[in-house]
Amino acid sequence: MTDLVLKNIGKTYPNGYQAIPSIDLSIEEGEFIVLVGPSGCGKSTLLRMVAGLETITQGDLLIKGNRVNEKEPADRDIAMVFQNYALYPHMTVRANMAYGLKNRGVPKEERDTKVNSVATMLGLEELLDRKPNQLSGGQRQRVAMGRAMVRDPKVFLFDEPLSNLDAKLRVQMRVEIRQLQRKLATTTLYVTHDQVEAMTLADRLVVLNKGKAEQIGTPMELYNKPASTFVAAFIGSPAMNLLDAEMTEVGIKLNESLVLPLSHDYRGKMIWGIRPEHLVASDEQNGDFALQVQAVESLGAETLIHGVLVGSQQTDGSAVPLVVRLSGPHLPDIGSHLWFTAPREDWHLFDANTQQRL
Amino acid sequence: MSVYFPQKKLPYLLVLPQLIITAIFFLWPAGQAFKQAFYREDAFGLSQTFIGFGNFIDLFQDPLYYKSMGVTMVFSFSVAFFGIAIALWLAVMADRVIRGKMVYQTLLVWPYAVAPALAGVLWWILFDPNIGPIALFLDRIGIHWNHFLNGDQAMILVVIAATWKQISYNFLFFLAGLQAIPRSLIEAAAIDGASPFKRFWDIVFPLLSPTTFFLLVVNLVYAFFDTFGVIDTTTQGGPDGSTNTLVYKVFKDGFIGLDSGGSAAQSIVLMAIVGLMTVVQFRFIERKVQY
Amino acid sequence: MIENRPWLKLFSHFILIAGVLIVALPVWVALVGSTQSASSFADSVPLWFGDQGVQNWSHVLFHAAGSTLQIPVWHLLLNSMIMALGITFGKIAISMISAYAIVFFRFPFRSLIFWVIFITLMLPVEVRIVPTYQVIANLNMLNSYSGLILPMIASATATFLFRQCFMSMPGELVEAARIDGAGPIRFFFDILLPMSRTNIAAMFVIMFIYGWNQYLWPLIITTDDTYYTLVMSIKNMLSVPDGDIEWNNVMVTTLLAMIPPVAVVVGMQKLFVKGLVDAEK
Repeated sequence: MTDLVLKNIGKTYPNGYQAIPSIDLSIEEGEFIVLVGPSGCGKSTLLRMVAGLETITQGDLLIKGNRVNEKEPADRDIAMVFQNYALYPHMTVRANMAYGLKNRGVPKEERDTKVNSVATMLGLEELLDRKPNQLSGGQRQRVAMGRAMVRDPKVFLFDEPLSNLDAKLRVQMRVEIRQLQRKLATTTLYVTHDQVEAMTLADRLVVLNKGKAEQIGTPMELYNKPASTFVAAFIGSPAMNLLDAEMTEVGIKLNESLVLPLSHDYRGKMIWGIRPEHLVASDEQNGDFALQVQAVESLGAETLIHGVLVGSQQTDGSAVPLVVRLSGPHLPDIGSHLWFTAPREDWHLFDANTQQRL
Repeated sequence: MSVYFPQKKLPYLLVLPQLIITAIFFLWPAGQAFKQAFYREDAFGLSQTFIGFGNFIDLFQDPLYYKSMGVTMVFSFSVAFFGIAIALWLAVMADRVIRGKMVYQTLLVWPYAVAPALAGVLWWILFDPNIGPIALFLDRIGIHWNHFLNGDQAMILVVIAATWKQISYNFLFFLAGLQAIPRSLIEAAAIDGASPFKRFWDIVFPLLSPTTFFLLVVNLVYAFFDTFGVIDTTTQGGPDGSTNTLVYKVFKDGFIGLDSGGSAAQSIVLMAIVGLMTVVQFRFIERKVQY
Repeated sequence: MIENRPWLKLFSHFILIAGVLIVALPVWVALVGSTQSASSFADSVPLWFGDQGVQNWSHVLFHAAGSTLQIPVWHLLLNSMIMALGITFGKIAISMISAYAIVFFRFPFRSLIFWVIFITLMLPVEVRIVPTYQVIANLNMLNSYSGLILPMIASATATFLFRQCFMSMPGELVEAARIDGAGPIRFFFDILLPMSRTNIAAMFVIMFIYGWNQYLWPLIITTDDTYYTLVMSIKNMLSVPDGDIEWNNVMVTTLLAMIPPVAVVVGMQKLFVKGLVDAEK
C-alpha cells in the first residue's frame, strides 16, 4: 500500500523564487526513502513541506490517501527528528518525550507507559529525569528519536539528524537508525547531504539538484546506472571520472590519438565516465591509456592515485585529471606513467548537452 | 529564523496593550506638544493664538537657549568623559586581580541602583558650603566653595554626582569587554616584548573601542535625560542658569514659567535630538547583533 | 598568567580599594549622619556615629519623615513598592507579548508597529513632560496609582530585549513544538516562558530599579501626600522655607530610599549584569 504520495509537489516563494518546480514520488508503507543532494538543492524544503512547516504552493500531498496540504503539522500524523535535535531545554527527557502526547490529551498513565517502553528500546531508562544539557550528543540524538517514536506516527521525518555527531558515533547511529526503522516498519523520509549515509540507509534514494529530482532508485541502481552526470558525480567516493569526449564512427575519441572503439548511433560531443575503482592496472602493450602520477593517497586497504591523462588536454588547454582506486598498497613514483584499461561494461556515457545518460 | 505561527488575528491582540499605552501616553502628548508649539497661550491659559513658527523663532533668538545648549554640552561630555575614563581604569585594575574580582564588582556596582535625585542629595551634603566636609576642606586649602553662588562650582557638583552614579554601569561593560578579549592576544603581545602599559594602549584599548563608543552614546543619552533628579535636588538649574540643561529648561519653562508654547517648542527640538541619538544607538546595536 | 609582578597587583588592589572608598564616601556620611541629632549639623557634617540612630530611624519610619512632610516613611515605602512593582510587571508583561507577536508571527504593518513602539518609547518622559501631564490631567489620573504606573509601562527597551532573546531561540524548537501539537498560546506558556526565565529575572532587576527611581513623574502628578513616593519626597524635605534642612531625617529617608533597589542589584547581581550586558549585545 502506498503510504505517502507527493503528486506534482512544488514550492514557489512569494518573491517569485521557485525552490522546487515539481516532484512526483510514491512511497510504500515501511519504505526508507533518503533525499540527498548538495546544500541548497531543496531537500530540506521538501521535507519541511511534508512536515507542514513550509506551505505547499502546488500539487497534492497525500498521507494514507488523505490530502493533507492544508493540515497543521500536528494533525498530519508525522514525527520529525531535527538536525540540532530541538529538545526543550527546560524539560526533562521524560517531559520532552511526552510533550506531544500531552498536547493530544493522552492520559498520564498511558503517556508513562509509552515513554517507558520507547526509553527501554533506546536504552534511555537511566536518563529519563535528566535535562538535555546533561546529555552527550549521542544521547540527545537518541532522545530526539525517542520523542518521535513515542507518538507512533505514520511517517518519520529526519532532517540531517547525524550531522552534529562525530564520525565514529555517526556510523554507530546510522546502523542503529536502520535497525530501528526495520523493526518499527514506519515509513521514513530522511534528508542528508552525505552520500555514504544515503547509500547505506536507503531503500530508495532521491537525488535532488536545484529542486528537481535527478533520479529516484535503489542505491545500486544509482551506482550502476546514474541517470545524469550530476548523479554520477554525486554517488560514489571518490567521484566518477568524467572526461569530455566525442562520439565518432570508430568510437569514443578522448583525444587525437586516443580512441576507445565502440559502435553507437550517437554522434557528437559527449562525456565518458568511469569510476576510479573500475580502472584496471595494465601495461604499455595492453593498456588503453597512461596516467602521469601526481599524488598518491595510501589508505592501507586501498590506494588512491591522482594523476593526469597522458597526451590529452581539456578544451581550455589544461591537463585532464583522473583518479584511480586500487586495492592494497601501491607506491608509484610521482611523475611516473602508469597504464590502465577501462572495461567496456563499466563505461558510463552521457550526452554533453543534456548531461543525461545515453 | 523563518518559523511563524499561521494565526492572523492573534498578533494584533498581543501588540494591542503596548499600542494603547503608546497611543495614549506617548503619541497623544507628542501630538499635543506639536500643536502647542505653534500656539501662544495667554498668561491665564484662557486663550490660544496660532503664531506659526513664532515659538521656534523666539527660541532660536533667545540667548538663554544657547546658554542652555552650551551648559548641556559641557555637562554631558564631562559626565561621559569622566564616567568612561574612571570606569575603564577601575575595570582594567579589576581585570588584573584574580582573587576578589567579584567582591570589587559588588562594591562598585551598587550606585547604579541609587536614584539620580538621591545621588544629588548625597553629594550636596558633602559639598554644602556651610557644613559639607569637602567644602570645608577646600576652604581650608584656600578654595572658597559655594555652589549656590558660583556657577562653575555648581557645574562641578552636578557632574560629580551624575558621574558617580554612572561609573558602575560603565565599569560592568568594560569588565565584560576585557574578559572577552582572548588571552592569547595578550600573551602574543607579551611574547613580542610589549610592557603591560604598552599592551593596554596597543592591544586592549583598540579592542575595547566598540564598547567605548557604545558607552559614549549611552552616557550622553544618560547625561541628557536621566540626570533631571540630580539637578533638581541640588542646583535647580542655577545659579543664573549655569546648570540649566535643555531638559531641565523644558520643565522649568513649562511648569514654573508657565510658557506652554515655548516649552512645547523646546520639547519638539529635544525629540528631534533624541530621535537622532536613538538612530545612532540603534544602528550601532543592530550592527553588533550582526556578528 | 603571563607574568607575575607583585607590585603591579598590589597597585591594582590599591587603586580598586581607593575607588571603592571614594564611591562609598557619600553613603558613609549619610549613614553616620542618620544617627545624629539635628543640632549636630550646625557647624559641620559629623563624620562618625552619633547616639540618635534608633530614635531617628524609628521616628522617620513610623511617625513623620520630617516637619514639612508629616507622613511616615513606611507609607512612602509602600507607595514606592506599589509603583515599582506595577511598572516592572506591567512592562515585562506587555513588552513580552508584543515581542512575541513581532517575532513569531507575520502580519501586515508588523515592522511599522515595531518602529512605532521603538521610536516613540525612546522619548523620555522628561522631554515631553508638559503635554503628558496635561493628558493625565484630562484623564483624571492625577493623584492615583494608575497615574503613577500606566504611563511608565510601555517600554521600548524591554520589548527590544525580549525581541532579541526570542530571535535567538532556535527555529527548530518552534517547529518541534508545532509538530508536538502546541499552538501559539500553549507554546508561549509551555516553552517560551520557562525558557526566558533568566531574561525575565534580569529584566525584573533593571525595570524595578527604573520604576523605583522615578522622580519627576511622581513629583508632578501627585499633590496629595498619600500618593507620594519615597524618592520624590526628598524634594519636599529639602525645600524648607527658611533653609533649615533637617539633615538627620533627610539622611534616614535617603538611605531608606536606596536600600530596596541596592538590595535587588546586589542580591541579584549575576542576573542584573547579564541583563544589562545582554540588552546591549
